[in-house]
Amino acid sequence: MRTASATMAAALAAAAILMSCPPADAAGTVKIGILWPLTGNAAAAGQASKAAAEVAADIVNNKHPELADLPLAATEGLPNQGGAKLELTFVDHQGNPSLAQQLATRLITQDAVHVLLGAYQSSCSFTATAVAERYGIPFMVGESAALNITGRGFKWVFRSTPIASDYAATYMRFFDDLKKEGKKIASIAVVNENTDYGTSVADSIEVAAKKNNLPVAIRIPYSASSTDVTAQVLQLKEKQPDVVIFISYTSDSILYMKAMKNLDYMPPMVIGDDTGFSDPSFIPAVADIAQGAMNRSAWDIGKPGSTTYKINEMYKAKTGRDLDDTSGRNMQGFLVLADALNRAGSTEPEKIRDALAKTDLKPEQLMMGYNGVKFDATGQNTLASTYLIQLRDKQYQLVWPEKAATTKLDWPMKGWKQ
Amino acid sequence: MKWSLPALAALLLFYPFILTGPFYWDIGVAFLLAAISASAWNIVGGYAGQVSVGHSMFFGVGAYTPLLFYHLWGLPPVAGVPAGMLVSLALAVAIGMPTFRLQGHYFSMATIAVAELIRIFVGTWDLVGAAIGLQGPAVGRAWWDLTFRSELPYYYIFLAVLAVVLYTTFEVERSRFGYYLRAIKAGERAARSLGVPVRATKLKALMLSAVFTSVAGSLYSIKTGFIDPESGFGILVSVQMVIVAALGGAATLFGPLIGALLLVPLQTATNTWFGGGGSGLTYILYGGIIVLLARFEPGGMHEWWQHVAPRLMRRSHAA
Amino acid sequence: MLLAQVIVGGLLLGAIYALFSSGLTLIWGMMNFINFAHGEFVMLGMYVALLVVVWLGGGPATFGFAAAFALFVLGVIVYASLIRHVMRGPMLAQILSTFGLALLLRYTAFWIFSANFVSLPQVSLSGTLNVGGILMPVPQLVAGVAAIALTLGLHLLLTRTTVGSQLLAVAEDRNAAMLMGIRPDRMQALAWGLAAGSAGIAGALMAVSYPWSPSVGETFGLTAFVVVTLGGFGSVPGAMYAGLIIGLIQALSAYWLGPIYKDIVVYALFAALLWLRPQGLMGKA
Repeated sequence: MRTASATMAAALAAAAILMSCPPADAAGTVKIGILWPLTGNAAAAGQASKAAAEVAADIVNNKHPELADLPLAATEGLPNQGGAKLELTFVDHQGNPSLAQQLATRLITQDAVHVLLGAYQSSCSFTATAVAERYGIPFMVGESAALNITGRGFKWVFRSTPIASDYAATYMRFFDDLKKEGKKIASIAVVNENTDYGTSVADSIEVAAKKNNLPVAIRIPYSASSTDVTAQVLQLKEKQPDVVIFISYTSDSILYMKAMKNLDYMPPMVIGDDTGFSDPSFIPAVADIAQGAMNRSAWDIGKPGSTTYKINEMYKAKTGRDLDDTSGRNMQGFLVLADALNRAGSTEPEKIRDALAKTDLKPEQLMMGYNGVKFDATGQNTLASTYLIQLRDKQYQLVWPEKAATTKLDWPMKGWKQ
Repeated sequence: MKWSLPALAALLLFYPFILTGPFYWDIGVAFLLAAISASAWNIVGGYAGQVSVGHSMFFGVGAYTPLLFYHLWGLPPVAGVPAGMLVSLALAVAIGMPTFRLQGHYFSMATIAVAELIRIFVGTWDLVGAAIGLQGPAVGRAWWDLTFRSELPYYYIFLAVLAVVLYTTFEVERSRFGYYLRAIKAGERAARSLGVPVRATKLKALMLSAVFTSVAGSLYSIKTGFIDPESGFGILVSVQMVIVAALGGAATLFGPLIGALLLVPLQTATNTWFGGGGSGLTYILYGGIIVLLARFEPGGMHEWWQHVAPRLMRRSHAA
Repeated sequence: MLLAQVIVGGLLLGAIYALFSSGLTLIWGMMNFINFAHGEFVMLGMYVALLVVVWLGGGPATFGFAAAFALFVLGVIVYASLIRHVMRGPMLAQILSTFGLALLLRYTAFWIFSANFVSLPQVSLSGTLNVGGILMPVPQLVAGVAAIALTLGLHLLLTRTTVGSQLLAVAEDRNAAMLMGIRPDRMQALAWGLAAGSAGIAGALMAVSYPWSPSVGETFGLTAFVVVTLGGFGSVPGAMYAGLIIGLIQALSAYWLGPIYKDIVVYALFAALLWLRPQGLMGKA
């Protein structure tokens, strides 16, 4: 027992050495701490968002006159802060809410970051934002699904992305438009993966559908790690809904498309709620069998020469893949944060918070297809909105809303029948 | 080396003044939590030799009840702690009764399965927040919500609990019960022939272990202010307890403490250095070190030290 | 008709479960050793298949064998460098070693292949067979049939050949086997090779119809544990029946109760079985 406590003393000394990591401090920089899952089950999303944030930092820190639509792109650094550069500190919370809490504490107290951005999984956003609130450091939620991340009476938390209820409302408006054109939408089916993301979105859709008197023929929650989705597809086949909405991650989205072909089931319309359908792996895997599949996205690469196209080129040069919606919304969150940091003209938390609260970005100043960025009292962006896009050949085309559309909607979908 | 035990106690008591700042305190809290959970696991997994890989079921129950009490009735979370202990106790009996007829790996497998069952079930149960989980009070209403701005109060609360767990383990070690446990671990058949009530003893150990693990879970969720199925009942929660105890030295009083002292800083350091890079190097190192220790020091660091310390002593005397 | 379709889907999936679980049961039965890295072997098999298809353009037969061979070699290496040294140590060191190994393999794959999901490019296997109104996707059908054939093959290897009886002799009584002139070390290395190899080929078969990323092994590993415990440890036919049964239960409960309940049903049945028949379906009492 005595030897044991001696071991302890030795180990404690070793521990102290291990943990002593001096925080770097450079003059003329504004520090952004970024919490994402860079390992674990959601690593792909975290990694892609990390690359997107690095592109965003490049846009702000260096001269990019070709992207002059975006605030801060044409100039170098933050002009109102004497040209200060943004310095990013990434941390990996592994999807663990307790670790997210610890890392938020570290970023604030050790690395002395001025603002925080994160945290993808709602669970981690819950705990990390609570730390930011406690210390009075602004926190931008770039992407997290759960409704009540904002609206907990927090003063320091902002969310630029649209949330589950916005998506649900979008789908309802879209269905109304279709009905006006005389297309039959008598019932819908909702298929959702059963963690926080799928559950939040599916709940919102059910609520909205009820309000619009649109019957939900069937709701199928399932686990995203399923290796077989035959049963789900057969259940859909039995109910014959006019629209099937999939709220799915990557491998399950692909499995659904394959199973639908294998079981010869094709509803008039399939809508993927972003995430899995937006994963760069989705199109190469199922493009030839999922023609006409719809996807929710606020991101559209656009025509060559457009700002979004150029951003995509920068991202592609870095990662070899196209930018996806999830990373795009995180990147937009970053840019909104940068805009507020510039307007604050100071790194004082209170001033940054006030600047964030006064944010008023117009649609043309954004890379994503929101109607703007303006926060309400809870910190939620009230102008956040989204497009609907449709798979044609090996690319999604913007088909709704009409005023932004680049092509006409294909109805019913073709799937594998060319 | 009479000084070492008081020195250790002093170190733990004064740690927050040696390494100051909320981040170091938070690591201290994480270390204490790992030590508490692993010590609790150690009672049945170490001393009784019944390797449970599903202790997250008790941890999760303990973690859920406080936030559930707050969520449903607006009670201070701490009011849910006894309820968690009771449910865990019942769960321990329900698991232990059938599975302790089995030997060896079956117990491990059965505990994994039950923990997974509960995890999936809780994820579909709306009353307990389903997949989204439960939140505690965002801002404490009064001190009894135990929602502190600083990590320091948590550190000392956790330290007190650790002291209770260790003292209980110490008493168990010295008692007849502890002797039974060692006999069972050495060989069940022989123990039975010596008149040791094997199943009752194993069950008692599991119950004691479950109650402490449940308290660890409660501490976790009160401190974090959030719980969801994965962080309560996930298999990684169970695995962490096994690894911490086994690395330090299972079936020894201070083994879990040593394990936590090695592992928590190791995890923090690798995450600090490599986590932001996102290459997965954190886990490659972590996994690699675990493999190497299992390969070269299968008895844990405690045993290693017992080999090394006398030699060091001799050398220092000779000098 | 729909029901028949559900049953067929469940059996095809169950066949794959059977194959990758048979490796786990072999190790467990022979050495009383749980391999927590077994799911990672399946995952690596999937990546081997991908590399073979992308680099060499091989068909299902080629990448199946390549995955089996590569994982066989890995299994032997793992045995020689790690397992041999911990297998007679404390049970905790055994658990620790393969947990660590699982993390190491998973994140090495993560490092090399990134976290992104991948799937096999369209291989020669595609299309759907219509048998009396029941639709059977060719890739799954081929994979399922191959899995059953390989599982049976493994069983025959263990029961009908000299190597097999030597393996079983070592499992029964190591010392007696040594007296008979069998070298247990070699036999156990062979067992690890066979176990990893069958996991590898199961991975390759899965890869035909299932997209994956490095963290996929966790799901497979847990499934394999349930299958093996249900089947009775050490019993390859047990694993086969259990695999098929679990595939079937999952499909039926997903269809009747809803997909989120399928794992609940499986684990609940499993817990009930532990009460009633702890030695598993085909295990020795």
